[in-house]
Amino acid sequence: MNTEHILVFRSNIKTASDRFAVERVLDSHPHIDQWTVDCDDTDCVLRVVSSKLTHKQVIAMVTKCGYNCEELID
Amino acid sequence: MRIRNEEKVQLVKQKAIELVVSDGFEGFSVNKLAKACGISVATIYIYYKDKDDLITQIAVEEAKRMSDLTLEGFDPESSFSEGLRVQWVNRAKYVMNNPTSSAFFEQLRTSTYQEQMMQCLIGRFKESMTLFVQNAIKKGEINEMPMEVYWSVAFAPLYSLLRFHTEGRSIGGKPFFMNDDILWKTFDLVIMALSPQSKN
Repeated sequence: MNTEHILVFRSNIKTASDRFAVERVLDSHPHIDQWTVDCDDTDCVLRVVSSKLTHKQVIAMVTKCGYNCEELID
Repeated sequence: MRIRNEEKVQLVKQKAIELVVSDGFEGFSVNKLAKACGISVATIYIYYKDKDDLITQIAVEEAKRMSDLTLEGFDPESSFSEGLRVQWVNRAKYVMNNPTSSAFFEQLRTSTYQEQMMQCLIGRFKESMTLFVQNAIKKGEINEMPMEVYWSVAFAPLYSLLRFHTEGRSIGGKPFFMNDDILWKTFDLVIMALSPQSKN
């Protein structure tokens, strides 16, 4: 596993319907290999596996769906 | 390039087990774990997808480690009493040397993670145990009996003693510590109970 390709964010994607709102965009993106949101966590951590995208690009995508998203610093 | 820090990974595993034991699965969170480890939440999410992924992976790894230790020096072709003796030594050693991991397994047994963990115990472990019992039956060292009956007689006495030992007290709160004399006295009774001759 190349941890370099894992991008981690704090978000407000909390419920199933929130998840559904970003699902279409993230699922269909050609450069996203895998993504998950931990809705149980207080930070609602969004985790994206992508070798091509930057944190900034993911933040832009999620923000466009109407959700907060900021990089979680390692 | 971000380097996977093995020391950090080990710390995360150790603290996760401790946290599950002290707070239960309900009280466990990645945030709490990060605080306990003194690392960023992001670091944990780089290694694991979410809480379930983390607990499942740690449980599977720990179950593998336990099954490896339980099979150490164990030969399913050996005589029944010798094989069972090795099992008792290995299982007692595991519980006594790894009290936190043992408590973690107790929590897992009644959780939704149980199934995934059991699947990884199947394989070499189950094969060896099954072969061992089949050999003993074939050689007339024990009678044929339902697996649950066998397990309850062969191992439950050991785990009762180990529980007394871990809790430091036995029935009625009497102080208790395991020693060889008690262990092997119980073992001899188990062998006697499982021997076909003991019916006479």
